[in-house]
Amino acid sequence: MLSDREILSTLEMLRNEHLDVRTVTLGVSLFDCAAQDVGIFCDAVHRKTTSLAQRLVDTCNEVGEKFGIPVVNKRIAVSPIAVAAAPFQTEEMIAIAHTLDKAARDTGVNFIGGFSALVEKGFTGGDLCLIEAIPEALAQTERVCASINVASTRAGINMDAVYLMGQTLKEAAAKTAHADGIACAKLCVFANIPQDIPFMAGAYLGVGEPDAVINVGVSGPGVVRKAIDRARKNRDSLDLGQLADIIKRTAFKVTRVGELIGREVARRLDVPFGVVDLSLAPTPNVGDSVGEIFQSLGLASIGVPGSTALLALLNDAVKKGGAFASSYVGGLSGAFIPVSEDLNIAQAAAAGHLSLEKLEAMTSVCSVGLDMVALPGDVSAETLAALIADEMAIGVINKKTTATRLIPVPGKKAGDKAFFGGLLGEATIMAAPKGDLSSGFIKLGGRIPAPTQSLIN
Amino acid sequence: MDLKKVVICVLGSDRPGIVASISKVLYENQCNIEDVSQTILQSVFAGVFIAGVPEEMPLEVLSQRLQERLGPLGLAALVRPVSAQQAYDPPPSEPFVVITIGPDRMGLVAGITEVMARFGVNITNLRAAFRGGTDPQRNVMIYEVDIPLAIDQKAFRKALRERAQALDLDLSLQHRDIFQAIHRV
Repeated sequence: MLSDREILSTLEMLRNEHLDVRTVTLGVSLFDCAAQDVGIFCDAVHRKTTSLAQRLVDTCNEVGEKFGIPVVNKRIAVSPIAVAAAPFQTEEMIAIAHTLDKAARDTGVNFIGGFSALVEKGFTGGDLCLIEAIPEALAQTERVCASINVASTRAGINMDAVYLMGQTLKEAAAKTAHADGIACAKLCVFANIPQDIPFMAGAYLGVGEPDAVINVGVSGPGVVRKAIDRARKNRDSLDLGQLADIIKRTAFKVTRVGELIGREVARRLDVPFGVVDLSLAPTPNVGDSVGEIFQSLGLASIGVPGSTALLALLNDAVKKGGAFASSYVGGLSGAFIPVSEDLNIAQAAAAGHLSLEKLEAMTSVCSVGLDMVALPGDVSAETLAALIADEMAIGVINKKTTATRLIPVPGKKAGDKAFFGGLLGEATIMAAPKGDLSSGFIKLGGRIPAPTQSLIN
Repeated sequence: MDLKKVVICVLGSDRPGIVASISKVLYENQCNIEDVSQTILQSVFAGVFIAGVPEEMPLEVLSQRLQERLGPLGLAALVRPVSAQQAYDPPPSEPFVVITIGPDRMGLVAGITEVMARFGVNITNLRAAFRGGTDPQRNVMIYEVDIPLAIDQKAFRKALRERAQALDLDLSLQHRDIFQAIHRV
């Protein structure tokens, strides 16, 4: 028999604390679609993704209904297109993006990831064509997401790729100037990209993955925040060790929900279950914010001194609770601090509490990196590349995933607002360094060597 | 010694010594307690005992002996034979939890359970929990139910939700596994 407390606290988490499963992402391998003719390739891609994902949305809704926990987003992640479509030219890559977009619309998923290339050590012809196609592909499509891995702890940082991505961002923003450069909101640049991320925009299906797989992204910043508030209300004297324990227990519960639902969806679709990504993923709704957790733990706002230490505690506690709850943990697994997608973080940036530099410091202790950061439209490709390079260095040296999702908003300046709509939210544009400050370094090019794995300080 | 199976229900105001009195009578009459469950609702004790009773003992006699001992304590006892033929054979089902929240008034449980009964949904546990103290708006009922796999799930959900709405109740229906996954290691 279940206890009243168990039943009622679950109901509370669901009704008032935004407990949900943030995303169920179906990974689809496209390697068996390989062809020399782009028409044949696109047909095969469309056929395979739509046949595997045909029941994805309905199944997620049915399972959500069974357990009374909504699955907010249903998505598809495919093999990196630069590999699966290596023989094709830029124009053909754009056609492939349209095919992916159509597959997403035909199956009712809101994003499809995998317009991706892995170039940490160098480029193939396919990689270069894909990157060249990104601005047009993301401008012309609605649901396609792109990610480029430019660095890894074992390979170092491909600075030619970093510079290329700085230029690509400028171009992608220019092509979607009417929508505040929204193409850049669908483009991540990574160091140490995991092969099984369920979250967008970084989701793709790695080369070591099965033919099809279900990966799940949990959420729960609202649940964590309320658990902290409740505990502090009931007992004034809780210290950080005890609060970390509360976060850990809450992460355990949230993760169990994700795994239960992910496994049921996988079973019904007859696809193997992959991983749970233990990330606190916020939305632009009040009460579903990572930034609010900072306030519940005593800081005036995310971004003020103390924020990096607090985030380190939060991120670690979430991982500990989640790792106990699920045997298969993967993806990014860390707190997200996407500026525009989190109302509280966006407000902190608008109020001047959160600067680009502090955000960068915080990313050294959590996953993701400079995520959904809107910058002035006149920031140069070289400065963007330098920001990317700094973020990549944090990931490479610390043996962790970091990424950037930077949006130079055409025609707007620091303090203005950028509007992306829906889940992508809106953000106040952060100040970026002005002038030609970093181009001498960026233009040197080459590859920053992989770091030594000993002498760790 | 051959034993026949009987069920004994005891009801009355709660106080120390009730179970001791019942079990003593059963022991003195060579009855073996096989299963037992008790609950206290507000101040009322209710106990159900399943016991093996010697074949030759008439149930009226056992009933009378229980009444003699329990009557002075303000308790009433009911003794009935347990018949294997009458047992409900549950169809293949999935366990769910239904929670209703809303202002207290007459007919809420009758309204909800009428729908459950109509669809052959079996209630395995039912209790009231008041979250708002004396706030009548926060009247919470928790039904643990088994929903047969064979029934039209959508029609049941729809009927249940419509009934809840008509009764001004906020209703949730969730598979039991979700509660176990969240709270039990």
